[in-house]
Amino acid sequence: MAPGHVDVHVARGPDGTIRIAAGPGPRPIEVHDGVVHVGPDFTRAVLDVAGAVLTWPVLDAPGLPWAEVHDVGRAQQWVWALYGERVAAAVHDSAAGRGGVRVTAEATALAGAAARLGLGHWAARWWPASYQDGIPVLEPSLLGLELAALTHRCQQLFDDEGDQPDDCAAELIEEHLAALDPLIQWWRATAGSVDMARRLETVLRLIDDAADNAGLDGPALRHLRSSLEGRGPAAASADPGALFARRGGYALAAGEPLVTGGRVIARGSGINDWRRYPPGLVDAAESAVSWTARALGARRRIEVEALADPAAPATGTPLVAEVHVNGGAPHRVSLARRDDLWTGHSDLSPDPQAGVSAPRIEVGVLLPGFDPGPGAPGDADVRAGRDAVRALVRRRLAVARRPPAYDTPPHDNCSAPFLAETAATATDEDY
Amino acid sequence: MPSSSQPTGERRPRVLVIDHAWRGLGPGLEPLSGPGGAPLTRTVKLIVLPLIARPALRPELAADFLAPAEAALLTGLIQESAALLTATAQWFTLLKKARRTLGVVAGNPQDLYFQRCFELATEHGTPRAGADMIARALVEEVAHAPGGRTVDALKDHLADAARRSRLDAELADAWASRPPPADAAAATAALARAAELLDACGVPGPAHTSPSYSGMIEAGNGELFGRALWAHASGVWGRDGLPTHLGLTGRQTPPRPEVGRGASTATLPAPLDRTLFERLFTVLQSSAHREELAPVAELVARETGRSCAPLGLYDESLRVAVVLGGRLAAGLDPLGTGEGTPGRTAAHRAVNSRWRREASVLRARRLTVSPHPDPDGGVLDALAQDLRTPWAAYMRRLWVRLHGRDVRDAPLEDLASAWAVLDGVARSVMMDHRARVRSALRTLSADHAPAAEPRSA
Repeated sequence: MAPGHVDVHVARGPDGTIRIAAGPGPRPIEVHDGVVHVGPDFTRAVLDVAGAVLTWPVLDAPGLPWAEVHDVGRAQQWVWALYGERVAAAVHDSAAGRGGVRVTAEATALAGAAARLGLGHWAARWWPASYQDGIPVLEPSLLGLELAALTHRCQQLFDDEGDQPDDCAAELIEEHLAALDPLIQWWRATAGSVDMARRLETVLRLIDDAADNAGLDGPALRHLRSSLEGRGPAAASADPGALFARRGGYALAAGEPLVTGGRVIARGSGINDWRRYPPGLVDAAESAVSWTARALGARRRIEVEALADPAAPATGTPLVAEVHVNGGAPHRVSLARRDDLWTGHSDLSPDPQAGVSAPRIEVGVLLPGFDPGPGAPGDADVRAGRDAVRALVRRRLAVARRPPAYDTPPHDNCSAPFLAETAATATDEDY
Repeated sequence: MPSSSQPTGERRPRVLVIDHAWRGLGPGLEPLSGPGGAPLTRTVKLIVLPLIARPALRPELAADFLAPAEAALLTGLIQESAALLTATAQWFTLLKKARRTLGVVAGNPQDLYFQRCFELATEHGTPRAGADMIARALVEEVAHAPGGRTVDALKDHLADAARRSRLDAELADAWASRPPPADAAAATAALARAAELLDACGVPGPAHTSPSYSGMIEAGNGELFGRALWAHASGVWGRDGLPTHLGLTGRQTPPRPEVGRGASTATLPAPLDRTLFERLFTVLQSSAHREELAPVAELVARETGRSCAPLGLYDESLRVAVVLGGRLAAGLDPLGTGEGTPGRTAAHRAVNSRWRREASVLRARRLTVSPHPDPDGGVLDALAQDLRTPWAAYMRRLWVRLHGRDVRDAPLEDLASAWAVLDGVARSVMMDHRARVRSALRTLSADHAPAAEPRSA
């Protein structure tokens, strides 16, 4: 983020929450439920910090977050470092009951690092990986380790009250420990590229420091320590694509198509609403969900196919399709994994109109128990939001394909690629 | 809209003053600093504020914003401590090294050693010959601080057959000589007073002191509520589906406590149904403040009487906190349905708005549960069901926390401290929910290896 000044608005809400509003940005921003809304849920990056929730609209140019401060005393530990001293004073005054003010904030290094951390957490949940769209998967453990490093970089945002789930550097390191050795190998094999080597070393040093602070220990972390101290075997050549190769691969629909005979009455695309199932199950492409309706004698059958995320588990996930026929009550079709597809079929209840004309069929996929429900009627911008997110990640991947060169340290800069993005672009030539 | 262009006035954030003074101290402080050179959050909280600024002695340094004179005072205090802080940093590095050598992994080194390092620096200056031995001894001492106050010691203590039968007889006596049960009217009256107090909580402003909090304690409202649970009083919440005990017992009335001989976190029954062993197990399990506990024999002796007291607690301020928490829990609305719950107070508005904020964050993090029951929903549906009966998880956590205070003789002196506990429990319940959703989703999207259960407190 370029250093500079930007105006923010600080005001106290009726429930005592202090809002620090950056912007107004180019898109309409609403606040309800005490949280900033900037469009569909998948367009918000959020971070739980000491005494507040920070929100960035991911589709906007990187900038200062909105903050909803619910504990001013705790938040004062970081407000000055994130927004500058004037904003800290304005928050203090607002808490004392003085009215809303517009003040000039500073775009600090901490603000850049925090935005990057927020965006990384967003990418871990909403990255629209798709074979069909050519958007590669981000290796979760590589992203997880970089998020651990960034969390430590942003340590000023967190305190020890234990209510900030994002204060999780130690947990992330432990969870993704297996990726540490490949990351060290990548660093050692990158001596030729000074910028890349420095980026990798920064992440590794932050991980080492975070682990040391949290009292973590073990063979992988000791190996990291000795590598950073310059001990250990010389670097073998290694490219990140091979180091972080994903299990499985992209072979599209190798199995036979689901042919069940009968006469095709209608076919079409379903709605691929990312919000209705967790990440890692379904290919994020707009056209990933499709259906075919057949007549088998007097019976009417619907078949649903959804492209699977390459990392999706083969068994044990009770994904379903929700089918509405002629606007009727929803009907669920269980889906099972068959190669790179989720498929399922079901007889439709007899419909008096079915023989007359082609039925009007709407299909979506969802995970029961997870699904927050079909979007609200005013959700017309959801599809546009998905397209905008795809455009965003394509821009980021294009940057990641170029050799790194930065004016600012990549860790304080939202636009610099994550290591997982760089590794993904090294891999995606292969499929 | 007024424009605030003043150069922040004369007062500056205290943390900024500390940060600037810290960076002025020069090299040698890296072990106590974060990656950007700022002091670690815990350095400020555990060393700079309590041991250098010492606002208890210098109340003028207790504020979040400092006038120039105070800022200069604080800067001076930090500068004077430069050598001491450098030595503290060196001791910390040495202690972490000793910890690795000894293979100690439990606990956060900053929490465990920061203040001890400051003491070592004060006493010895920078580490010299023999410092390694001191460091090792200290790491071992801290690791063994529980001094026999462990679950294993409890198990040994309760393995003795003669002792078990004596404790059993004592429990029978204590249970038989309880005061008589109270009626629903007593509980209703206690809850009405609780509602008034909760209306003074959770609102911004200076720390609240309320005479009616001590009034509730003097009137024994907590004891009365506890005795009403013994009578299976009903109808105190004014709506169906909400048991008087809010899940503090799984039965109609709490049973007489048994001695017990084992426990597991995964299968602990409702708080008032727990055995003596299970009650002390939760206390000994939490690593915090273990050194403040009485020896195991004494813990057991006191728990015998406590477990038969109203609400399983001795201290009346803690029992009143159960009443306040119950009144709060009965009006929790994590799903934002707004459905018929007893009158909401300022405390309810604060906690429920926190829940709505959390729900919104969970949607942005793709960690949702369906708001409506879904028979195909499996473990996620069970988690959603817990949100529909939030009082059970809330009361369970609250009781464990209050019981821990009772065991340590730590009453809640005023309404502000009681509210801090009530609010903290609400946050813990939210954290629990998020951790469970995360873990359930991880299991669902992993082919093999089910994810480890989140640690629970």
